[in-house]
Parts: sequence; C-alpha cells; structure tokens
Amino acid sequence: MSSGTRPLVPSAPPLLSPSHADFPTPRTREDGGSDALVNDIFSHTPIPTIILDPSLVIRLVSDSYLKVSGGFRRESVVGLHADAFFDHKLTLPSLDQARKALHCAIETKRPFDVEDSQANSAIIWKIRAVPILERTTESNGSQSVQYIQMELTDVTEEHLRQLELEERLATNETFRILVETVKDYAIFMLDPRGNVATWNEGAQRFKGYQREEIVGRHFSNFYSQEDRDNGKPERELLDALRDGRVEDEGWRYRKDGTRFWANVIITPVYRERILIGFSKVTRDLTERKKAEEKLIAAYEEASRLKSEFLANVSHEIRTPMHGMLSALTLLLDTRLNPEQHELAKVIEESGDVLLQVINDILDYSKLSSGSFSISHDIISVSDIILSVFRGYEKGHNPDVVLEHDLDPRLPKAAEGDSLRYRQIVQNLLSNATKFTEQGYIRIKATLQEEDDQSCVIMTEVFDSGIGVPLALSSFLFTPFTQFDNSATKRYKGTGLGLSICKSLAGLMGGNIGFRPNPDSQGSVFWFTAKLKKVRHLKHIESLQEQFRKHNLNSTVSTFEEIKSAATDKRVLLAEDNPINQKIMQKILASLGFSDIDKANDGREAVDMSTKTLCPYDVILMDINMPFLDGVAATKAIRAAGLRTPIIAMTANALKGQAESYIAKGMTGYIAKPVDRHQLAKILLKCFRVDEVAQVAPG
Amino acid sequence: MARTDSVKEAEGIMAIPGATDNIDSATFEQILEMDDDEEEREFSKSIVYDFFGQAESTFQKMNKELCIYTHTQREATADTHHSENKDLKTLSELGHFLKGSSATLGLTKVKDSCEKIQHYGQKKDETGTKDLADDDEALGKLKVTIKEAQEEFVTVEKVLRKFYHDEG
Repeated sequence: MSSGTRPLVPSAPPLLSPSHADFPTPRTREDGGSDALVNDIFSHTPIPTIILDPSLVIRLVSDSYLKVSGGFRRESVVGLHADAFFDHKLTLPSLDQARKALHCAIETKRPFDVEDSQANSAIIWKIRAVPILERTTESNGSQSVQYIQMELTDVTEEHLRQLELEERLATNETFRILVETVKDYAIFMLDPRGNVATWNEGAQRFKGYQREEIVGRHFSNFYSQEDRDNGKPERELLDALRDGRVEDEGWRYRKDGTRFWANVIITPVYRERILIGFSKVTRDLTERKKAEEKLIAAYEEASRLKSEFLANVSHEIRTPMHGMLSALTLLLDTRLNPEQHELAKVIEESGDVLLQVINDILDYSKLSSGSFSISHDIISVSDIILSVFRGYEKGHNPDVVLEHDLDPRLPKAAEGDSLRYRQIVQNLLSNATKFTEQGYIRIKATLQEEDDQSCVIMTEVFDSGIGVPLALSSFLFTPFTQFDNSATKRYKGTGLGLSICKSLAGLMGGNIGFRPNPDSQGSVFWFTAKLKKVRHLKHIESLQEQFRKHNLNSTVSTFEEIKSAATDKRVLLAEDNPINQKIMQKILASLGFSDIDKANDGREAVDMSTKTLCPYDVILMDINMPFLDGVAATKAIRAAGLRTPIIAMTANALKGQAESYIAKGMTGYIAKPVDRHQLAKILLKCFRVDEVAQVAPG
Repeated sequence: MARTDSVKEAEGIMAIPGATDNIDSATFEQILEMDDDEEEREFSKSIVYDFFGQAESTFQKMNKELCIYTHTQREATADTHHSENKDLKTLSELGHFLKGSSATLGLTKVKDSCEKIQHYGQKKDETGTKDLADDDEALGKLKVTIKEAQEEFVTVEKVLRKFYHDEG
C-alpha cells in the first residue's frame, strides 16, 4: 500500500491495485446492511461521485458519474487505479485536475475544490475531493485518510454568471475611471442632505479642493454668501426633487475665494425608488460669459453710436433746413409770378415734411436709446386738445367735418408733459386728416379712471377715412411701417409717427391702440395717459379761472402781461459776455424788470443766488461760462435747496438739449440770440408755475 | 415802437452795401428797437462800439496765442504737447466768447467764423462732429479762419460805422 500512497507521481506506471482483491475493505464489510445502504446511496446520488481508497483505487462509482463520464459500465471502472481511469478511460475530469484535487485533499486532509474545463466541452465542472479520515486518532494527533470522495458539479451556469458579474464590474470600473478623470466637468455626487460624497479631477480643477478636503462637507460651500443667506443651495435641491432636475447659471466660488461663472445641473439619483443622493455636473463658462459680455458691450456701443449718429445727422440736417425754410418764407412774401409761387409752395411743403421726418428720426433715436424723459409741467388736457384742434380747423378739407367732444370731468390741471401730450394728439389728428377725404374726424377725451393720486385720461380720434385692414392693425405701431406701401406715395411720412406715439404713451404710463370705427368705415386711434393729480387742486383751478377771466376780459398782450408781472420781481442774469449782458439787461428792462443783478460767471451766480437775503424770482443762466458753467452752477444752486426758476440761454440750439437742461435742474430754455417775445413768454410761464407752486402749499 | 418802423430801420442798414451778407436783419432789428431815440441811437451805438472794442481785443489775444503757439511749436519737443493743447483750448474759448456777442448782434459771418474757431480749437472739424488729425491741422485751419474772421469783422465794421454816420 505504501507504493499506493504515491501514485500521483506522473511517471508512475498505471497499475491495477493489488488490493483490488481485498475489496471490500474490512470497515465496510463489518455491517452488510450498512454496506448495501452505502452502495445504494452512492449508486443513486444525482451528484456524480466516486469513492477512492488511499491508494487511489476506485471503490465505488455512482450511476450519475458513469453517465456524465461517457457511459462506462460500473464493472469496468471499479477496481481501476485513478491514474489509469482518468488518463485512459475517461475524458472527465482530466488527469491533471483530478490528480491535483486528490493530491491536495490527501495532503491537506481538507476538502479541495478545483474547476475543470475541457477544450472539447462547453461544460465546466467543479471537482471536489473530500478526504474521509479514520475515526481513531494516532498518537501524534493526525488522522490518516481512509477514503477519498470525489464529486463533480456542473458549474457552467454559475461560471457564466460569474463572468457576467466580472464584466459588469469592469464596466462600472470604466465608468468610475471615466468620471473621475474627466477634467472639463466637475462631476460629483451629493448625499441626500447635500454633502459632497464623491469628487473628480474636474471638480478639483474648478474648485481647488482636494478630495479629502471636501468630501463630507455641504455643497453650499461653493456658493456666494448672498446665495447661502437666501437659501439658494437648499432651494435648488428641493427644485431638483420636485422637477427631476435643476439647471442654474451663476457665480460659484473656489477654495481660494475667486469665482467662476458656472453652469450647474443637479439631478436626484434614486436606487430602487429610494433617494441616494444627487448628481451634480458643473461646467466653467467663465470664458463664454466673457465673450457674451463683450458681445453685449459691443452691441450696446454700436446701438449707442447709431443713436448718436442719427441724432448728430438729424441735427446737422436740421440747421440748414431751418435756414432754407425761413428763406423760403421770406421768398414767398416777395413778388412772385403764379408759377414761381406754386414752385416755392412745393418746396415749402416738402421742406416741412422733411423737417418732420428729421424730427421724427431724432425723437425715435432718443426714445430707442432710452435717453428720452418726460417733463412734469402742470397741464390741462382740454386746453392742449383744443389748441391742436384749432390748428387743424384752419386749413382743413371742407368735405370733412371736424368735431371735438371733451368730458367736463377732465382735470383742469394735472402733472404731465404738455409738449409730448400735444405731440401724440397732433400725430393722431394728422394721420386722421391724411387718410380721410370726406366724412368726419372727431376727437374725444374722457376721464377713464380716477383715484386720490392720479387720473387716467382716454383720448380717442375717430375718422371716417380709409381705415386699416384688421390683419395689418398689429403692425401699426412698429417702426418704419405704413400699412399700405403703395400708399406711401400718396401719404407722406416716415412711418415712425405711431411708434413714437406708442413710446410716448408708454412714458406717460398709458397705452395706445387701434380699433375699426364702429359707426362707419374708418378708424379709431386711442391712447391713455396716467397723469398725477396736482394737490390743492381747488386753488389752482381758481387761479386758472382767474387767468382765464383775465385773458377773456382784456386782450392783454404778452408784453403787457409780463410788464405787470415784472414790477416786483428780482432777476439774476448770469452771462460772461459784457455785450450780451448789456443787451439782456436792456431787453429785461424793456419787459418791465427794474431789479436786475449781474453775475459774470457761474461761480458768481451760485454765490449771489445762495447768499442773498432777498431771493431772486428768476435766474437767466448762460450755459458756457468760465470757472463754472451754467449746468454746474444750476446743480450747485439746486443742491443748496433753492427752487428759483432757472432759464438756460445757449446758442447750441439742439432740440433735445432743452430736455437735457431741464433734466439737469433747469426750468426752461431759450435759444441765443435771445428773442424778446419768446423770453417774455418763458418768463411768464415760469412765474405762473411758480405762483401755482406757492399757492399750492397754502 | 411799431413794427413797420423797425423794419424800416433794419432796411436802413440793410441798404448799405455789404450788409446783406454780413448782418441778420431780424436780430439786428431787435437791438435797434431798444433805442429810445431813433436819431441818437445811443444804446445800439454803444453796444456796437463796445463790440468793436471787444472784437479788436479778442483778435489781438487770438493772434498772440497763435504767435506763442507757433513759437513753442518751433522748439517743440514731445513734452511740450501739454501746453500746446492748452493754447488751442484758449483759442476755442476766445472763439466762443466772440461768437456770443456777434450772434447777439446778428453779425452772422463773424459769428460763423467764431464758431469754427471754437471747434478747431477743440481739434474738431468746422461742424464740431469729427476729430481733426492733429494739432498741426487744427493750427493751420485756425490761422486761416482767424484771418477770415478779422476780414469779415472789418467789412461789417465799415457797414456799421456807415450806419452810425461815423466814416471818419
């Protein structure tokens, strides 16, 4: 048997064990019933099994084993030595693996598993060699191997599963490496409370934190203090939960406190319907943001340049236009033959249109650049409408009836911009007359709403003209549109008028619109304006009433009126040129002013007006003066709390500049060389407003 | 004072050769209206003569600035640019100053030239919209325009003196 204990030496010749004759062994023979039972169990176990003795001679073999190993008969297997069996008779399991299993089991006295796959078979077997040890222990405590049970298990499926699992693990690993090494995106996970759970290369690059520094800390660390105070990070998580995703662009902060413009997408991540956290992907858009800002700046610059250019060009055209038109007026007064007169008329008419176009463009460029402001005079809507109306009454087409319908509840005085209100009314009336050849034009104004602070006035112009196709009515207020291009030849204009009116109405807190005339053919154009109420309305109304009576009772000329108003008024004249000073003084004297002080520059003007005990009633302020110019002087005077009317005088007679001077604290504006009649009118206006203002608080 | 009278007055001066090109009748008429006595014309005459004085002294100052400027320019090095600009600015201010009074009197040609001087002094073109290339261009234009303005002034001065019967 000693030779049988080493049968696994590869060179050992296969031998039929001499102990074959001794079989069954004394142990198994002790009890015939048990022997039969063992035989029975081993024969019928579904797990392919063989039992070998320590000399590796096969002692028992199961039916199942015979079946899987190639249909041997039991008699030809039992009694064979393992080497002979595995090497010659069988393909299953292969010799090497079987030997290995048996050897190891004997050496270690422990069950030993080994897998065996054969080249010609898709099935993978697990070979299990189980040493069965003697019951009695030897003196040195070791037990000797009595039998070896060898089982085969088909593990093909298990094996496949294992392979799949490995593959999956490999894929996961690939993804993990991918995410971790991406440098251009910060991709990381947050736990459900918003603490950072993972970190990648990109995140480290963008935010400057090492993995160890940030994992476990709340992601609000990346937000500005302001965002944190507003609870923005928490809100984003809630939004992500609600909407399944949240995207945000904004400044995020690095570890060193610098910031970058980030696009952030947060998505909640669920496993088995349980929230396990949020994925957060951040992109650095600083460069794009910079590019965008550059683009916007370039656009704004271009748009500003455009407006400036338009304004400059219009101004430059307007100056010679004025010259041309005044020359024309003079020409028309000379003796012309009918043909010449006709031609001169044509020039005058075209010139007027051209001037209107230029004014429109100037207004439009200012409105579109947002540098247009509305003044807050005390106005009477009825007066404005009547005055425009009378203008149209003069030379209107006799086939058209002109009517007006004014709500008696219209406020006598309200805060508004009379010039701009007039401009809209004029535009709507002019459109109506342009497009109405017979029938009627009616202007109607009603008080639409009223509260303690303000009132909304609706002004409508009805006409029985050609009307507007409803489909085109939505383009009416778009710049440079005339609804019928073929009509442009007949109906002159830039197509800017209505779009200007729309902006103006908007600036007045109102709206503008169109509807077809319900009575007949034709149009109804309407606009609303929200005007602030003047406090102590009664005083003003009575005052206005007085003015009205005054105006009605006597046909007092402006000059007489100013002369009576001037008697007790103090005037400060700020002008650096002595000749102009002298002439202004003379003009003022001729208007009835006797109390005139002179300032030779802006600084003197400020000193004199702020330090005098007896305040001035009006200041006439040259714009270009040494030391301190008129605008700066006005600011200083206003800063000192004086509300004295200040009238700007300048030769830079740009239309828009009047508004800009008024915006800078001046009350009015007069062009140089100063026209006596115009000066009288402006002064009267100042005094009237001034009186109203003085009466009001009382 | 009736309007027809003043028109006649303006026509009076406009009849003098050289007046139509140089004087804006409506503006000058307003000055004449301020006279209390149509024979004496004390007020308008004093204004006009004040203007003569002002114009002469302003032209003198302009020429002096031009002279200083040309002188410094001849010895100019890079670091004197600052003072050069200052001189041009002074010319612009002088132009503006004389523009104011000539405009008030309706002396259109002198006024227009003064306006150009004002612009050139700011190194802008004659309408004040575009920048000029450099100081030299501005200086060249200033020299020409100041000379023109002086000539225009002399012309209008003759007309005015004739109007005030002072041709000695």
